[in-house]
Amino acid sequence: MHILAIEGLTKRFPTVTALDRLTVTVGPGVTGLVGANGAGKSTLIKILLGLLPVSEGRAAVLGLDAFTQSAEIRRLVGYMPEHECLPPDVSATELVVHLARMSGLPRTAARERAADVLRHVGLAEERYRPIGGYSTGMKQRVKLAQAIVHDPKLIFLDEPTNGLDPRGRDEMLTLIRRIGTEFGISVLVTSHLLGELERVCDHVIVIDSGRLLRSSAITEFTQATETITVEVEEGADALAGRLAELGQTVTPHGRMLLVKVRGPETYDAVRDATADLDLCLIRLEQGRNRIEDVFRGEAAHV
Amino acid sequence: MSEIYDIGYRHYDGPRLGRHHTVLALGVHSLRGVFGLGRPARSKIMPFSLAAIMMFPVVVSIATMAMIQQRVGDYSGYAVVMQAVVAIFLASQAPTVVAPDLRHRVLPLYLSRPVTITEYVGAKVAAMTVALFLLVAVPLTVMFVGDLLVDMPGPPPTGEYLGAVTMAAVLAVLLSTVGLALAALTPRRGLGVASVITVYLLSTGAAPMIYAALYESGYRSAGAWGWLINPFWLVDAAQVWLFGSTAHIPDGAYPGGPAPILIVLALIAAAMAVLSARYRKAASQ
Repeated sequence: MHILAIEGLTKRFPTVTALDRLTVTVGPGVTGLVGANGAGKSTLIKILLGLLPVSEGRAAVLGLDAFTQSAEIRRLVGYMPEHECLPPDVSATELVVHLARMSGLPRTAARERAADVLRHVGLAEERYRPIGGYSTGMKQRVKLAQAIVHDPKLIFLDEPTNGLDPRGRDEMLTLIRRIGTEFGISVLVTSHLLGELERVCDHVIVIDSGRLLRSSAITEFTQATETITVEVEEGADALAGRLAELGQTVTPHGRMLLVKVRGPETYDAVRDATADLDLCLIRLEQGRNRIEDVFRGEAAHV
Repeated sequence: MSEIYDIGYRHYDGPRLGRHHTVLALGVHSLRGVFGLGRPARSKIMPFSLAAIMMFPVVVSIATMAMIQQRVGDYSGYAVVMQAVVAIFLASQAPTVVAPDLRHRVLPLYLSRPVTITEYVGAKVAAMTVALFLLVAVPLTVMFVGDLLVDMPGPPPTGEYLGAVTMAAVLAVLLSTVGLALAALTPRRGLGVASVITVYLLSTGAAPMIYAALYESGYRSAGAWGWLINPFWLVDAAQVWLFGSTAHIPDGAYPGGPAPILIVLALIAAAMAVLSARYRKAASQ
């Protein structure tokens, strides 16, 4: 079953067209929604939650119609907004318990679930302190916790890594991956950075100015572009020449060489070439091309 | 450390309750917020001291009934006499009901759940209404119980007491809808407090002035309408028509007939319209 089925979705605001005949389907797992700021990512999520009316088109979430059954949908999904949305004078526990009850959980169940999810997102003792004193990273964790407290089938995460430092970003991405795999909750996560999504997503959708640019599985990107990175102490040029003679595709990349993998023979060629030239091999690394590079390449071809 | 026992993620397959449960939970949560329950101690100071002040006339009344067998003040006039305290309670607490969610943009967290805007606004209005009703009706009831226990000569004023409690409910609905509508126009709590108290002071100051101005210029019957600018006198006028109580104004009389109660209903409808427009706008942001 499709988690999301969007067909010809159009949303016009008085001055801009946020979504322009968008048609795309999303399966279970972690899906990245990528686009520049203003590409229509947040608008799409709000429409799927039934919070914004649409101009044209249809959308289904978990098999339910987004316009007539939005109350049913909101029972089954979780939402982490992009902006700050936490009252400063209550504690994380109080807020998450309250919001669990707003999702229909009885009082005791709400307490248990809140304690559970706050532990899963990594908030320990500080969860009893008012949110006003939290760091950005902790606030993002609270926002994530409230999105999963009612055990939804699907969550919409709008720019969850916004404002986080590199370490916080890593931790947030790991958490999202766990939610999508261990917790078994499907995830639609937006970002304007392709690079960070490739680590956690099974599938990536790219939109620009409300139009679909591309929708494909992560494996498609990585399989098509598998390379190995070779670094030798010196004599990289000689090695590049030798590999080219052996019929390999080599691109110099600073001090390193990127060699396109054709099959097992590519590894043999690298081994033989370095041995023959008597070079000192200091790195042989399987490098997956970053999705970003793929798009950069595609954009260059256009 | 808290993470010694990592039992992994557990799914929830317990009951998911319906709308009335969530609306009730939100209403109770907001009502607790009005009285500062579950909040730091300083949030409790204002509502509870005002509630205590509301009890002073009750204590005096019961004492005089017990000692000199006389009633000071009546049930029907209690809300009018105590109007400044009720107004301060409304001004100080109405913004706490609506402002934080607007200011900190918490609304999307509600609206991405089964809660609708109508239910959200309804729960907030209900919470404020119940708070104001309790503020006025609890002292009235204590006074009445005291009245019965003292066993004053003559029949107990049950009719007047019930009328006063009914009008306390009407007053509570009127004040909470108008107060919340005013408070919700600004996301800042301080401005909300200021705007509610300003509107109250203007209406209180204007009523006798309009009455006097019209009365002096010879429009005696028109002057009576001047009193209806103040919400407490407006509800008192409705009480006079509905329950035949005496008017609690410094001078003159109210215009008779159903006009006051119709004005009350129109004001409630207008305030609800403002609230729903305000929240529809906030929701689409």
